[in-house]
Amino acid sequence: MNKFSLLIKMAFTGFLIFFVAGCSVTTREIGSDEKVIYDEGYHFSDKKAIVDGMVKSLLSKYPLLRATDRPVLIVYGIANRTSEHISTSAMTDDIRQELLSTSRVRFVNKIQRENIARETSYQYGGNVAAETRIQKARQVGAKYMLTGTLRSIEKKQPRQFRLKKKTLMYYSLNMELTDIQTGLIEWADSAEVIREASKPFIGW
Amino acid sequence: MISPLPDGFTFLRRSGFHFSLLIVVLISLSGCAGRLNKAVDHYHSGHPQKALQVLNRGDQPGKRNQLLFFLEKGVILHQMGEYQQSTAQLRQAARLIDSFEVVSLSEQAGSLVTSEWLTRYKGEYSERLWVHSYLMMNYLLLGQYDGALVEAKQALERLDRYPEALTDDYFTRALIALCFANLAEDNDAYLVYRKLADDLPGPAPVAAEIVWHAGRLGMVDEVEKYRSFLPRRLPEGESELVLFVANGQIPVKRSGNVFFPPSIRFAFPYYSAGGTPRPGIKILPRRWSSLPLLSTALGDVARDALAARKARIIVKETVRVATKEVIAQSVGNKNDAAAEALVRVALFLLEEPDTRSWRTLPGRLTLVRIPLPAGRHELQVELTYSGLARRKIIDLPEIQLRQGQRVFHAIRF
Repeated sequence: MNKFSLLIKMAFTGFLIFFVAGCSVTTREIGSDEKVIYDEGYHFSDKKAIVDGMVKSLLSKYPLLRATDRPVLIVYGIANRTSEHISTSAMTDDIRQELLSTSRVRFVNKIQRENIARETSYQYGGNVAAETRIQKARQVGAKYMLTGTLRSIEKKQPRQFRLKKKTLMYYSLNMELTDIQTGLIEWADSAEVIREASKPFIGW
Repeated sequence: MISPLPDGFTFLRRSGFHFSLLIVVLISLSGCAGRLNKAVDHYHSGHPQKALQVLNRGDQPGKRNQLLFFLEKGVILHQMGEYQQSTAQLRQAARLIDSFEVVSLSEQAGSLVTSEWLTRYKGEYSERLWVHSYLMMNYLLLGQYDGALVEAKQALERLDRYPEALTDDYFTRALIALCFANLAEDNDAYLVYRKLADDLPGPAPVAAEIVWHAGRLGMVDEVEKYRSFLPRRLPEGESELVLFVANGQIPVKRSGNVFFPPSIRFAFPYYSAGGTPRPGIKILPRRWSSLPLLSTALGDVARDALAARKARIIVKETVRVATKEVIAQSVGNKNDAAAEALVRVALFLLEEPDTRSWRTLPGRLTLVRIPLPAGRHELQVELTYSGLARRKIIDLPEIQLRQGQRVFHAIRF
């Protein structure tokens, strides 16, 4: 066997090993506190960091700091102004859950309003015993409205001859708590995530 | 007879091998393309449901044509009014396009001795932009305005990356501005309209928008500058109906060839001539009219996009032709003339330009904005095309507009 044939056979074996290894499936559990980042984009660990920071700020500053009457809040969502499809409702869900777990505030269930109205109509439709019906016009009005905006700025390295491309990603979440009666912004804060990632231009 | 070939290449003596290899390569290259062609034919003969069935039938498409499957399905589902499903397909297409930023060495090396058809289809620059155009339309039609804005930003990124090729896509640029305006992002909307005013033959079609956004941003000088370009009779209304009008078919890519003896073939793709003329669009009843139309002939932009890639195509084609010539001569030197001839025939036949393209796209996209007062409206659209020879009236679904509301609707004819 000459050297050329040997080389071809070795290359073929190498390919086979490469493909078999590449096709094997691996899984591992990841803790919710663990930071796992694949690229410069938005990750679940960012959400956790942002939510934790916002909840801490909300509870440690006026007006919620001094509130003793468990004020009622309504979440009007976070507007996504980034260049990625990010589910901002997941953020507000987490913020609401963390705030509720402190028992210092209450929330109006805005999303279920239609279902509440439907259920109320059903209860008054004649099938439900009068003494077990809920009373109409007893819903609680919200005192504060929680809103926010998530923004991002992306900077990519200009096109030039190189093997890797760097991308800088900046995310900022601005949130505010507005007194619905006065229209005044009573609390506002922001959280930021800045990340740089580099990707190769050439792959196998 | 002692073979002059090295041990590893003795199989080349078997004359049938070349043709077998060629047939295997050609069959593997044309496998998914057959389904795509059939689906496109069904679609253009007015059977989008059948087209979708063909694309969904059988195995998952191979990697080479995966992008085209997503793109064609995206448009077919859009046409069928399945905007959610269309969005899912097109978002997969967008993700795939992003993954193509990494150049595959194995793929490029393989295509150098065979054909460009062996590589994964990555989409022309224009097609990479239109993925976002359709996604913007889908999100607006679904009332998911945040999603539309995300796509507008991604479309802007594509425009910034290939400005020369995509400048004339006025429809997409106006759509981007509309996505910003729709969420009161006045500054971004103003910037897009301002650039559009510079690139259009005249600023009149976007003057009203510039005046409006510049006014909200307190740019008095800009308001004064563009007020003079306002059309004489500008329709007014606090609400708006926006129509995405698609008509015609995008030109297909064809195969161009240049031959040199003995068997050198330079092959390159080009878009066939012709375009889709701008249709006449009127709103019935006639008391309503639209703002100046912004329209894109997709074939023109596709040609610009292909031209922007011309230098790369020529370089790669030259390298491929040279590589094939070296292989043919090498086989000729080590074997008889018949073996060289067989290899030359095989390599000649493999030299096919990559004529794949997104074929369910329309020939033209037009943005029609109709200001209307709040309230209930029953409207029709009167379309004239083929040089006023053909006329069509389309009934629009009844709309109930709130103060300041914008409603979106898509039409394809």
